[in-house]
Amino acid sequence: MDPMSWTGTLGPILNPLIVASIAVFFLAFLTQAVMIFAGMRPGEVVITPDQNHGISIPRSPVDYTLMAMKYAILVFLACIVLFFIAGVFQSDLTDQGVVGAVGARFLPVWIALIITFTVSIRFKRVLGLYGKLFDSPIGMVGFFLVMFWVFTAIFAGLVATHGPIDVISQMRNEVPGAFIPNSNEGDFPAYLLGGDNLGRDVFSRMVHGAREVLQIAPAATLFAFMIGITLGLPAGYFGGKMDTVITFIANLVLAFPVILLFYLLVTPEIVLAGVPQYMSMVLFIFPIIFFVVLFNSRYHTQPTKRAILLAVVLVTGALCYFSLISDRGDSDSPLRFWPEVLDIFDIPGNLLIVFVSVVFVNSPTVFRIVRGIVLDIKTRDYVAAGQTRGEGPWYIMLWEILPNARGPLIVDFCLRIGYTTILLGTLGFFGLGVDPESANWGSTINEGRRLLTIYPHPPLAPALALMTLVLGLNLLADGLREESLKD
Amino acid sequence: MVPLGGQQTGNAMGQFILKRIGTMLLTALCLTFVVFFLTNLFPNLEKLAKTQGNARMTDAEVLRWLDNNGFGDPMLLRYGQWLGVAPGWIIKDEESGEIIGRCIDFGMDPADAPRFCGLLQGDWGYSTVSDDEVTNIVWGRLLLTGKLMGWVLIVMVPSALIIGVLAGMREGSRMDRSLSTASIATTATPEYVSGVIFIVLLASSTAGISPWLAANGWFEGRTLFLGSARSAMDDITFWNFTLPVMTLALYGMGYIARMTRASMAEVMTAQYIRTARLKGVSFRNIVLKHALRNALIAPFTVIMLQIPWLLTGVVIVETLFNYNGFGWTLVQAASNNDIELLMAVSIVAVVVVLTTQMISDIGYVYLNPRIRIS
Amino acid sequence: MTQAVETSQRVHPAARMYAREFKTGQLSRREFLVRSTALGLSTAAAYALIGGAPASAMAHRRTPPMGGTLRIQMEVRALKDPRSYDWSQMGNITRGFVEYLVEYNADGSFTGVLLESWGANEDATQYTLRLRPGVTWNNGDPFTAADVAANFEGWCEAEVEGNSMATRMGSLVDPDTKRAVEGGIVVVDDLTLQINYPKPDITLIPGIADYPAAIQHRDLIGTNPLDHGVGTGAYRVASYEVGVKAVLEKNPDHSYWREAYLDRIEFVDLGQDPVAWLAGAEAGEFDMNYETVGEFVDLFAAIGWEQSEVTTAATVVIRPNQNNAPYDNVVVRKAIALAVDPQVCLDLGINGQGILAENHHVCPIHPEYAELPPITVDKAAAFALLEESGHADHEFEIISIDDDFRRKTTDAVAAQLRDAGFRVTRTVIPGSTFWNDWTNYPFSSTNWNHRELGVQILNLAYRSGEAWNESGFANAEFDALLDQANGIQDADARRKVMVQLQTIMQDEGVTLLPYWRSLYRHHTPNVINAEMHPKFEINVHYLGVAA
Repeated sequence: MDPMSWTGTLGPILNPLIVASIAVFFLAFLTQAVMIFAGMRPGEVVITPDQNHGISIPRSPVDYTLMAMKYAILVFLACIVLFFIAGVFQSDLTDQGVVGAVGARFLPVWIALIITFTVSIRFKRVLGLYGKLFDSPIGMVGFFLVMFWVFTAIFAGLVATHGPIDVISQMRNEVPGAFIPNSNEGDFPAYLLGGDNLGRDVFSRMVHGAREVLQIAPAATLFAFMIGITLGLPAGYFGGKMDTVITFIANLVLAFPVILLFYLLVTPEIVLAGVPQYMSMVLFIFPIIFFVVLFNSRYHTQPTKRAILLAVVLVTGALCYFSLISDRGDSDSPLRFWPEVLDIFDIPGNLLIVFVSVVFVNSPTVFRIVRGIVLDIKTRDYVAAGQTRGEGPWYIMLWEILPNARGPLIVDFCLRIGYTTILLGTLGFFGLGVDPESANWGSTINEGRRLLTIYPHPPLAPALALMTLVLGLNLLADGLREESLKD
Repeated sequence: MVPLGGQQTGNAMGQFILKRIGTMLLTALCLTFVVFFLTNLFPNLEKLAKTQGNARMTDAEVLRWLDNNGFGDPMLLRYGQWLGVAPGWIIKDEESGEIIGRCIDFGMDPADAPRFCGLLQGDWGYSTVSDDEVTNIVWGRLLLTGKLMGWVLIVMVPSALIIGVLAGMREGSRMDRSLSTASIATTATPEYVSGVIFIVLLASSTAGISPWLAANGWFEGRTLFLGSARSAMDDITFWNFTLPVMTLALYGMGYIARMTRASMAEVMTAQYIRTARLKGVSFRNIVLKHALRNALIAPFTVIMLQIPWLLTGVVIVETLFNYNGFGWTLVQAASNNDIELLMAVSIVAVVVVLTTQMISDIGYVYLNPRIRIS
Repeated sequence: MTQAVETSQRVHPAARMYAREFKTGQLSRREFLVRSTALGLSTAAAYALIGGAPASAMAHRRTPPMGGTLRIQMEVRALKDPRSYDWSQMGNITRGFVEYLVEYNADGSFTGVLLESWGANEDATQYTLRLRPGVTWNNGDPFTAADVAANFEGWCEAEVEGNSMATRMGSLVDPDTKRAVEGGIVVVDDLTLQINYPKPDITLIPGIADYPAAIQHRDLIGTNPLDHGVGTGAYRVASYEVGVKAVLEKNPDHSYWREAYLDRIEFVDLGQDPVAWLAGAEAGEFDMNYETVGEFVDLFAAIGWEQSEVTTAATVVIRPNQNNAPYDNVVVRKAIALAVDPQVCLDLGINGQGILAENHHVCPIHPEYAELPPITVDKAAAFALLEESGHADHEFEIISIDDDFRRKTTDAVAAQLRDAGFRVTRTVIPGSTFWNDWTNYPFSSTNWNHRELGVQILNLAYRSGEAWNESGFANAEFDALLDQANGIQDADARRKVMVQLQTIMQDEGVTLLPYWRSLYRHHTPNVINAEMHPKFEINVHYLGVAA
């Protein structure tokens, strides 16, 4: 059977429009560039010299080219949206075309996105910084891209057409839209974005890859933040010897070229030596400390509430902590005393070391940022007021300084998730520590680049996915920064 | 806090640099020890023994090999030997009476050998995988990477500054928005993605534009650009060096451009610029004569700090384009657990990182008279 | 050509028998050549016996013009004592100055290099090696039987770590002293050497044609040729940078015993990634590729390079190691074998570039190969077997190197096992660490190079307790049959034993062995005599470039 076309039944109508919009865009762009070089300017505000002193903006030719570009983009986007909408309502794959079918598969994601955006925009005035995001077009685009991948990760099971490691050998290196020969009843009958060189579905691997990427990167970033905050707050607030020591250690880690650190840490030999367990023993104690201090300082006037909260934090914390660092299968594990019954989960050594390394690399930067902000904020009046009220130093740090530092921290958090995603891809590129069959975008790109010149589709899909996610995070951070500066 | 000015400035600056160099040495010492520790963990030594001796050695043979090659001493002592503060190991073969040792070169009389031979004596050690002195390897490779970095900076810095200044001089304008989005997009495209795309588009004889151009007879040869920079090791040409340089420059460019934009935008809202505008100075003159100098202070520090950051990119690009420079050596040394080469590589890397940090701090002070040294 | 090989005067009776078999169609031309030349016939004489045209390997070879530089893309590894060479690439570089006694040609025949001729007695226990006269070392010493004897002694030192020649010497090594047997190596005169085996052995000539069998100067046994540079070949090392480049140049101080054409050969190391090779080829950074793999065969052809192909017994085995549970259970091993379709491995692993195999390590191009019924694949039955063994919940971890076809083939096996209901995880280990422990992984894949005779590989890799026995297979019956096969010169007679050996391998589920690979090499059209060799050998003395 012939593979389905890219655009299905709507293609003959909309394809010329798309081509035209692209052509118009480039033509307008070129003309505009030429005109600006020739010294023409876009229309500027002119105060009309009559009695009214009205304001008018006369349109120069440059403005018309800019308008043309804008409409070209709008037409292009409208066509794509039309394909998606049509794809949802058409039932036959050949009618839908690849674009339409992909759009249809993402239906749960679209619904979730529409709900999120409608609700958020409706209530944006009461949603604080998050609500303000919807005043910034850049922030909205960023948020859209990020949430698209977040929902894709959540609904991966519904969106994907096949399993991430299901192999159909006849589908090896097949072009996008190829049908599966003699497919079983009930199976999805085609590979929407083609097959990779082992006969796996590129589309499904991309979708499942979102889940893998969004599992590790934000979690690792969150841990890095908790460590950075737990250490950065006292270092900045108290200063002194402790500050000097921690700052020196942080600078030490920062002076280490990231790639060398990864090459030293993320190897099978290091995992064998039990280093990840020891490192996680040290690193993962900080989140527990963070929460204990957080609740302790808040509720130390209400002993019962404090006791309950602390007990909850300590029990769950300890359970997770020991489950994480002790490994049932590994007899050399540094923590053999932990009873197996209570060992709820095991993280394989190679995943743990990736996680630990990423946290390790990120936390010193977070530490420096937090310390810098604290140094700035602690001179403010409200901190002095708190001190005179007799509030404890930890209460001031966690409940007065930290909330006021949230703006830059949230921005950095978004940027850092993007950076971590790229970092994980780098690890995949060098084949360090990642599960070989994993749908992780970085390793998929690396695998696919070998045959890129003849089969460009397998690496291109995850590459675009990675780019859009990181771009979304960056735009989101930009929008947040812009809006938080308006305070 | 010491205010800058006159004689005092010189002293303060001298002290500052001395202090920084002291910290740098301490940092280097700590970091080399960490590297030494990690590379000398037993599984790594075992791997070394098996690659150097024989892949099928038994555990007992591995231990014997390690003892015979000076790996038997405690780790701290061996670190001292490497550093040159502890005497090098000497092992006498019971049967043949042959004496081998760290400081005894092949064919040298053991009696003539120096007692210490470590970093402090200028001996960087021996690379096991390359079968050569570390010093012979590192400097040549560093020179190659130096060339690469040089070209990257030549391309990256001016274009990033121009983009940043253009975007930042009218904050919120259409030009600002498109240039900012473009620079965000470059920072969202890691080297391993852009390098691959460049190769397909420009350096493949079956895909991209090269076959089309060649069919029209517009250039000699097989591909427009070369997808492998191996020939650039001997002779850099536009065609073999453009892609690696572009790949590296593109990723770093966006960040510097955004910093420049932010700094430029801030300067443009400053009081003195507003005054100049009100006095009727032309926009062009305001940007070039008044704003630019102050706007470039912040990007300068970023550029210096960007250099160590480029190192990861260098490793990727050198691997991708087969350019056997410093980054490539790092990969080789690390994946073969070539301890002394890896130590040398990390020293160089650490020195680069710390020196650039120091230059960035000093430069910041010199460029900005309002800053005081703390 | 000046190097026509003299045969031993007497044509070996077995060779006449092979000739009859060839004429009746029982033997292919290739098999005939392998066997008759192994018994001491020159290629020309072998062809004469079967009345064919003397289309010897050398006759195929063109005479290149003198001079020129050739750049070969090949890994440049750190060199060591040739006896412990573990990569053909090492031999390819040093072959320019340390030569071999005999060489194996791409058509399956053997020709003498430092040997002028050789012969064996009736029961293949005594070999007479006649050295080429007039050969000198590049340090001025004459090349004599003492040199060869010293090398044989060295090869037999089984206690030297990594000496893989010891296994190739077979019964010439005394199992007690771990050295050559008393009276095994006899210097008859300056140019004649006699090898006496305690029991019949037919693998001597293939053994000494292999890449670890480089002939070193008698005083330099056990040394790294790079350190001293002493050899009989026409070249010397101009520079050697591991992982980057090695350069050979013609040695002006040495008169080589025959012609050598190129002035300079550069071995360029572009790493292990075929993408880099293609990029390098497109950038014109080398003229000849060591080996082209997988999809890159088509890509190299597409950029206009000349292709040379050879079918071999090179393969990948995906074997469980029987020293590890649950693979000590034969039912588990059989379940694995039953679940994997070799055709899928062939298609996914090597792009269909090869022929199907039958889960035993004897290839149809081996002279003694016995055809067995095609293997069956039944995923349901496989899972039933697995359940019967009680290991249905076992998590099977399959390890492979991080490299093109080995990794893909292993991935294909993993996918098929999963299909059958096995629980499978995959682990990929980078090339730098993979070989540290390759014989001990519980379940992993390994690539095996071509060997001339089927029994050679069985001796190396499946005999109990051998160093390279990665499957941990230990079977007394198998060993006994193998001993028996090693003494049978006639391939037809041997085939009767081989049937049993092959069947044991299948029944015991020793390994998955899905296909035999075709090997490819590409070079620019002006390179002469760069044909692919079944054992990846490159003899720089033959190469040339057209002006």
